[in-house]
Amino acid sequence: MKIIKRLLNGSAALLLLMSPAARLYAQDAAATPLSKVERKNKAPLSKEVLDVKLKRPIERKLSNGITVLILEDHRFPIVTTEFHMRGAGALFEPEKLKGLAAVTAEMLHEGTKTRTSKQIAEEMDRLGASLWASSGFGSLEAGFGASGLKDNFDAWFGLAMDVLLNPSFPEVELNRMKERIKVKLRQQRSSPGFLADERFSQAVYGAHPAATVSATPESVDALTPEALALWHRDRYDPARTILGIAGDVRADEIVPKLEKWLAKWPRRNVDAALPPNPTPVAARKIFLIDRPDSVQTTVALGNIAIDRRSDDYIPMVVMNQILGGGSAARLFLNLREEKGYTYGVYSSFSAGEYPGPWRAGGNMRTEVTAGAFKEFFYEFRRVRDEKAPAAELEEAKRSVVANFALALEQPARVLGFAMTRKIFGLPDDYWDTYPAKVMAVSAEDVERVARKYLNPETAQIVAVGDARKIKPVLEQYGAVEVYDNSGKVVAAPAAADVKQIQ
Amino acid sequence: MNIRNTILTAAIVSAILFSAPSSEPAAPAKKTKPAPTAQKRVPAQKIDVPFRVYTLKNGLKVILSEDHTAPTYSLNVTYDVGSRNEPPGMTGFAHLFEHMMFQGSENVGKGEHFIVISNNGGRMNGTTNADRTNYFETLPKNQLELGLFLEADRMRALSVTQENFENQRRTVQEERRQNYDNRAYGKTGEVLLDLAYDNFAYKHSTIGSMEDLDRASVDDARRFFKTYYTPNNAVLSLVGDFDSAEALTLIKKYFEAIPAGAPIPPVDMIEPPQKAERRKTIEDPFAQTPRIDIVYKIPRGNTPDWYALDVLGDVMSAGDSSRLYQLLVKDKEVATGVSAGPDERRGPALFYLSIFARPGTDLAAIEKLVYDEIERVKTGRVAAWELEKVRMQSRRQRAQGLYSTQSRANQLSYYAVYFNDPNLVNTVEAKIEKVMPADLQRVARTYLKPSNRTVLTTMPKSAAGASAK
Repeated sequence: MKIIKRLLNGSAALLLLMSPAARLYAQDAAATPLSKVERKNKAPLSKEVLDVKLKRPIERKLSNGITVLILEDHRFPIVTTEFHMRGAGALFEPEKLKGLAAVTAEMLHEGTKTRTSKQIAEEMDRLGASLWASSGFGSLEAGFGASGLKDNFDAWFGLAMDVLLNPSFPEVELNRMKERIKVKLRQQRSSPGFLADERFSQAVYGAHPAATVSATPESVDALTPEALALWHRDRYDPARTILGIAGDVRADEIVPKLEKWLAKWPRRNVDAALPPNPTPVAARKIFLIDRPDSVQTTVALGNIAIDRRSDDYIPMVVMNQILGGGSAARLFLNLREEKGYTYGVYSSFSAGEYPGPWRAGGNMRTEVTAGAFKEFFYEFRRVRDEKAPAAELEEAKRSVVANFALALEQPARVLGFAMTRKIFGLPDDYWDTYPAKVMAVSAEDVERVARKYLNPETAQIVAVGDARKIKPVLEQYGAVEVYDNSGKVVAAPAAADVKQIQ
Repeated sequence: MNIRNTILTAAIVSAILFSAPSSEPAAPAKKTKPAPTAQKRVPAQKIDVPFRVYTLKNGLKVILSEDHTAPTYSLNVTYDVGSRNEPPGMTGFAHLFEHMMFQGSENVGKGEHFIVISNNGGRMNGTTNADRTNYFETLPKNQLELGLFLEADRMRALSVTQENFENQRRTVQEERRQNYDNRAYGKTGEVLLDLAYDNFAYKHSTIGSMEDLDRASVDDARRFFKTYYTPNNAVLSLVGDFDSAEALTLIKKYFEAIPAGAPIPPVDMIEPPQKAERRKTIEDPFAQTPRIDIVYKIPRGNTPDWYALDVLGDVMSAGDSSRLYQLLVKDKEVATGVSAGPDERRGPALFYLSIFARPGTDLAAIEKLVYDEIERVKTGRVAAWELEKVRMQSRRQRAQGLYSTQSRANQLSYYAVYFNDPNLVNTVEAKIEKVMPADLQRVARTYLKPSNRTVLTTMPKSAAGASAK
């Protein structure tokens, strides 16, 4: 489902932290809990926060302009490689050819000038290696990766480079893939999560191309081998590519090999200018996607907030941690642990090259949809209107900083931090100073970013569920636009027995 | 193949405490396969997980594995209880109880477990399947005592209140709705188990029925705790950056005073031999396309035949070059995805074949293609390169899985509880490598025969009430 699901940007995607939301009626109070969260404070804790230094990868520039980041880690005989090709992402594809970037990426391994699809699959599998390629909707870049054992690195990486640089886009394979994709396009319409994503992105991004989260059968049908080949030729540009390598390699041995393998990749002149930034939607809108047999309501609330380079990024991380960043956050403790409305409820924010949305949501039992909305708005109000208590703030910050130690188990995660720094042009010492910056966030900062971005009056509201049962609930918040699962506006179905709704 | 993992997971493991947005996939659960040790082609670097096993006076088994490469540790406590221990009328209880383990104990408040782990940079979760229940956390190394304290306090003095029980009953019911009742193919796995098995232990799902969840009581929970959550019915594995002597001292401090319990009641796992094919078709209100699931009864895990079937599953569906992917997805274009392989159980297991059919295809013809491919395994030879491929893939997956201390801790506990042999984490490799083409032929002939199979077809609900209106 790679193509269809929105993958966030390969790189900016890594940064999808979580963030919080808005308020509606200041007089909202939390409903009576079923059971109460309680602190006994008897667990033995070390007060120290480990001072973790993230290892910096070795950086090299190849003659054709590729930036290479190499993180050596010799614990296990594994090598992971990842190309981020800026300018080749779905964000830049023509409206009529939605899916072009993703299908180009996924078609790479379906044939090269010297190998058939089947030969590539057999060789890769025999080498115990694997390939992936994708470009998420809204992404500036196409991603391509290969990983495998150190023992036969030259064999599998060489093959991967044939796939990346010499694809032939055979028509017969493209036609097969198109048919498979069209089935998946249909299948995804049964998923409440997909339906919520689709409507939410449309709502917050509006005219910005990131509003699209999926190809359509028509846009898939319009793809041709020629269109794919052109996209590959014109948009896969080494000068805009970052290659990350993590694992059991030696930088000095691998760089000359990379030169050899990648030298024939010519530079391009890619127009990767961004469209105008999305801006927060000025007025609340409510979208209801009718999914008749639903036993839950899938909820998404939010609006456009910040990009990755924003000065508010770190305060947003902390605020989100407090509001909905995990199982110790307010939304989870309130809606799940105290009310029992849901299995999980979280907030997040997406901050990449252009501003993305903050978003809160989860799946709620249909009968408590009204109660759940009330609690969402209660929590949005609280994080905006009340200063976070000192202890809660300290703990949220500590949570973010202490978690760094865990990244050290996985070289790919450490490399991921460095890639983020590179992609967004953040200072060299960004991650070294990050913990101190997190610890410096004040209650005022949290309140300020919450007020600035989490406006409950303008938050877009999306609900996927049984319209007959939940439309009256949503109408308490304003006019409701009803869609069917194909994405079309429909007349609302007759309301059901309202007694079922609390 | 992702699809494969998804399907198998749905069928076997169930029910994790929560699915956090940014947490790592839980547990190894299924299997950890190895690489060819002294094989010619690959000069395999031997990867060992060193560990030592201790048994406390109360019977708690402790496994320690030091690794100082990252300043972290993972703790896993696995209890020898799962949904197989549930009697009729109590389905879903083992998992509901798992949730109660996060609801507070004598010195830990409700929700406090989440809060202290998270606030100190850690990750944690719990999972339940048919054969065991586990709890695990990963934390920075300076919080070693915290993890041990939390696990010991709830093993020693769990507090079960009516309010918290009610709250978690609702949470679990939402989990059920989210993962089974409100999604496409959500009920397929449950129906399949019910159809294939005769013995109640594996016949019912781990998530359980809404009715049984409604019926569960606080008294049940107290009894369950007393019966199964004893130190002598658990294995504790600790992996990461600590000193073993110090860790053992702390473990004794927190755990050794917990009194041992009576041996747990035995579970009847005897599954009568299947005499004839079983078939069923169900309608799914959310499915957009048909899915065919074919399962065969096979032996329990950690047996030579199980390993051979595991390799056969990979030959059939792991990677784009696999037989069924090439046949059904690429050549015949009758499916969008296919997966094959056994689940690993302590009792009679199943070999799964799951096929996502293209709309409008002849489902009987797809089945026939699958059966013909199985016949080819029975009558022909699986090529050496196909086996070599499986070994390479396994070796790599294993190495990749070892970076994480959590994955190592989970595997050690898992193998200890399942097969009383934590060293399988190191030796399972050789067992896979021993599998030869003749073994694949033998297991295909023995188990993959019509009288031993169950076929379930999941169809999109007919237009009337379907979501496609």
